[in-house]
Amino acid sequence: MSSRAPRIEFAVGAFLLLALASLLVLAIASTNGNFGFGGDRYEVTARFTNLGPLRDNAPVKVGGVTIGQVSDITLDPVKLDSVVTLAIDNRYSDLPADTSAAILTSGLLGESYVGLAPGGDPDPLKDGDEIFLTQPSVDLMQLVGKYMFSGGADNAAGDDAAADPAAPAEGGSDEDLPPYLQ
Amino acid sequence: MPFVAATRSVGRAGLFTLSVLRASKPTADFLRELVREIYKIGARSLPIIAVGGAFVGLSVTLLGYRALDTYGAANQVSAMLGLGLYRELGPVLTALLFIGRAGSSIAAELGLMRATDQITALGLMAIDPVGKAVAPRFWAAVLCVPLLTAFFCSLAISASYFEAVHVIGVESGVFWQVLKDSVDFGKDFAMAFAKAAVFGAVAALVAAYVGFHAEPTIEGTSVATTKAVVNASLLVLMFNFVMSALLFR
Repeated sequence: MSSRAPRIEFAVGAFLLLALASLLVLAIASTNGNFGFGGDRYEVTARFTNLGPLRDNAPVKVGGVTIGQVSDITLDPVKLDSVVTLAIDNRYSDLPADTSAAILTSGLLGESYVGLAPGGDPDPLKDGDEIFLTQPSVDLMQLVGKYMFSGGADNAAGDDAAADPAAPAEGGSDEDLPPYLQ
Repeated sequence: MPFVAATRSVGRAGLFTLSVLRASKPTADFLRELVREIYKIGARSLPIIAVGGAFVGLSVTLLGYRALDTYGAANQVSAMLGLGLYRELGPVLTALLFIGRAGSSIAAELGLMRATDQITALGLMAIDPVGKAVAPRFWAAVLCVPLLTAFFCSLAISASYFEAVHVIGVESGVFWQVLKDSVDFGKDFAMAFAKAAVFGAVAALVAAYVGFHAEPTIEGTSVATTKAVVNASLLVLMFNFVMSALLFR
């Protein structure tokens, strides 16, 4: 035992060091590096009429760059608005007070996120402030449905020629198609 | 009275857990035993964990490619790999491999100690058999399963990188960036290792309990080994569901 002990100790030491090294590499190379646990962030709220598919932990972006996360989503029991709490990195503490927030979607099927558009107010947003200028999530399917069944029907008959002067030249068979398919 | 018997066996397992925790004192002898157990059940499990992780990474990548390509999102394959690996596959498969590799040996060793009256002998020498034989194995497992999970995950990600970049043709930078964007440090990465520590504790406790209370015969040892693998695997899978449901809502 005593003659084998140093070898075992070396093997155990090598195992532990290797394991810790691979933990460290994994933590840096394969995660978002969000090591802080909320200490260096400030929170602002925003009210929306419709969140769409927005969830907790969705990114908060300015100009496509992630600066924070959605930390909480609740429903105001009186006004029945949804109240979204945004936790924003303290590095970006100079966002103007009239910054506006919109719920956007990356791509056609992508995740939804909160996009902030900075305004021109010299005062910055502070912890606990509310963003007043908001734009709710746009439901793509609802939009398509509205266009097909109301917008399309309204100007299908008379406005064909006016809406799309190139269409009638192609022939009469296009007449019975709604304008968006011509 | 099957209900009373079942309740009593749960109670015995709980009391056994308590006695293991109470017997864990960091004396020099305990630390020496701990190092030996880390070598036996941790370092010696490395090959099976590494190879297992690599093959899991390869097959998850193929599966993810097949599923995501339907939506034209094949370059998101590393998001599926990262989340699947850290949330479920890494801790669970490491624990299951660990149970097969080390849990069975814990149960067999303790069962044989029981069969050859070594546990009784320790007691006669006024040495606590739980503190001497069980506690070091328990703490070695709690320490080793998270570390083995780290090996499992790094091998799986490396193998997946090879498969995705060199075989399927995902862009290398896209692979890493999608992986980084999808895996949250606190919610996914840290939880994976918390889960792994719990699984290590469960696996070692079940194996030690079954081995420690084995029938003192040759057959009793083999029954204990079988029981340890079956019960520990089932418990790990159940704990995994409960922890996933609580942690990842």
